[in-house]
Amino acid sequence: MNSLYVEGDSFLHRLPPGLKLLLLLAVSLALFLTRSPLFLGGAAAAGVLLYASLGIGWRQSWIRLRPILLTIAIVALATLLLESVEDGMVALLRLTTLMLVAAAVTATTPVGAFIDAVTRAALPLEKLGLVRASDIGLAVGLVIRFVPEVISRYQALRTAHQARGLKVRPTTMIVPLIIQTLKSADEIAAAIDARGIRGQKRQRKS
Amino acid sequence: MDIRFEQAGARFAGRLAVEPLTISLTERRIGIIGLNGSGKTTFARMINGLVTPSMGRVTVNGVDTVDDAEAVRSQVGFIFQNPQNQIILPILREDIALGLKSRRLPAAAVEAAVQGILGRFDIGHLAGRRAHELSGGELQLAALASVLVTEPRIVILDEPTNQLDLKNRALVEATLNGLDESVLVISHDLALIADFDRVLLFHEGRLLTDGLPSEVIARYREVATL
Amino acid sequence: MSTRDLVLAALFAAIIVALGLLPPIMLGFIPVPITAQSMGVMLAGVILGARRGTVAVLLVLLLAAIGLPVLSGGRGGLAVFAAPTTGYLIGWVFAAFVTGALAERLVRPAQGALAQSLGFFAAAVAGGVVVLYAFGITYLAVVTGIDFGKAFLGSMAFIPGDLIKAAVAALAARAVMAGYPLLPARA
Repeated sequence: MNSLYVEGDSFLHRLPPGLKLLLLLAVSLALFLTRSPLFLGGAAAAGVLLYASLGIGWRQSWIRLRPILLTIAIVALATLLLESVEDGMVALLRLTTLMLVAAAVTATTPVGAFIDAVTRAALPLEKLGLVRASDIGLAVGLVIRFVPEVISRYQALRTAHQARGLKVRPTTMIVPLIIQTLKSADEIAAAIDARGIRGQKRQRKS
Repeated sequence: MDIRFEQAGARFAGRLAVEPLTISLTERRIGIIGLNGSGKTTFARMINGLVTPSMGRVTVNGVDTVDDAEAVRSQVGFIFQNPQNQIILPILREDIALGLKSRRLPAAAVEAAVQGILGRFDIGHLAGRRAHELSGGELQLAALASVLVTEPRIVILDEPTNQLDLKNRALVEATLNGLDESVLVISHDLALIADFDRVLLFHEGRLLTDGLPSEVIARYREVATL
Repeated sequence: MSTRDLVLAALFAAIIVALGLLPPIMLGFIPVPITAQSMGVMLAGVILGARRGTVAVLLVLLLAAIGLPVLSGGRGGLAVFAAPTTGYLIGWVFAAFVTGALAERLVRPAQGALAQSLGFFAAAVAGGVVVLYAFGITYLAVVTGIDFGKAFLGSMAFIPGDLIKAAVAALAARAVMAGYPLLPARA
């Protein structure tokens, strides 16, 4: 699984991830507090400039933004038809600007930096006893590790169906897939404890 | 090393997986053999506290496996039957570093230890690889590296040569023989443990016999053909 | 959260991600491709329960937020939270929670297979359809200014497919409950 981060040395690349997230929050609030076409139009233009300054290239940018742009276009069109031209334009400009700024933050922040920022942000919660901050990075790593395993088991099950002349049905695929992966998940949980990775607390089974 | 079972046994769902037994293990290289489902793996998992005894107690170098599981696990490394499940993070280098990071070592010390262990097993070229793409032999070495990097004094291996081809089996055997750590090896590969210091034979949840490899293996052949 | 809970939540997060990557499965009798990750959300709720199911969904959203293309169609990054359909993503969290909380209360190991399946189905519909659409439609209406009633009607087209997904999730949960007794008893 490749991340959407793009190598570079732009202004945005150099800002700390936490600050970028705060800026993104501020931008989204500002966008939803106004309906002024002038402001929204200006913001959208600034968003395009910001995204273009990253040097991702037209083709790559189109591939990245297409799915969300498409949803925005459909919804803006629906708004325009159902409500008014002005409502449609406001929705289009707001959402497009937000998408561009958000995509720019994503493209300029490596996954590891995000995880560090999230882990740091979770430290106060750790003091309250709500989460263990180091679990966040561990959990993210585990998900990335499990995805190819789930897919390869799925493909093996498909092959097994075909070899036995069975039709591939959702239930006959999903159930064995889940049971098989649950078994290996239990082993992995044991391995994490065996390797002392989370710092085991004293535990005695009753 | 000194592993002691004092009337320790394990019960699962009302069935005794390991009948209470008392034993002291001090030899450097110990083999564990027996039929499938004879209690070998449960016995081995009791040593590092992954399975807690339902009765009696287990200590490693005097430390109770239940009261201080963390201290025991830092001394006892465990390599699972399926090394795939041993590797926790997607990239091998990250995975090896994981056990060290949880001990809150500085980044430079972590990096040095990771490089050291990769060099020791001659698998530096695998460091950046995805764990699920490694071959069976590579996985076994990677699992060993991820455990040994935290410097346990005892290593338990559950069927380390299972499913390996001849070449990889020889590689794992040579690696095992070269370890300075004490080793406990569960194996159906009798040649692997033929020159060990002591071998235990489990049968139907009981420790049937233990002693020198030749005698215990002979007894195993009798039991297996009954 | 125990290590096992953490690993199970991560596993179901991976299953939700994989459901967005796998080729669709066609049902025999209705031409509806089962691709949607929303079924993964229901599965996490009915199989893991409220707490772990919610954590699984939060993990998927976290992965998406930090720039991994984990949502169906290879979508990811913070931009997915700037779409008109973002309400459905936020709704996933509450859908998994409600599905799980209901499953824990409606389904008992002592019940017959039919009662268990129906309990899981009711839980999946309440969380994965009712709660999910409440968030999705409300967000859509607020963000775009489309009238709530019109947004509601426009979303109805997707309901039949989601009911089928709830049924598949319920059958799967019942079979997993029977086939993998290592899962802890529910409260």
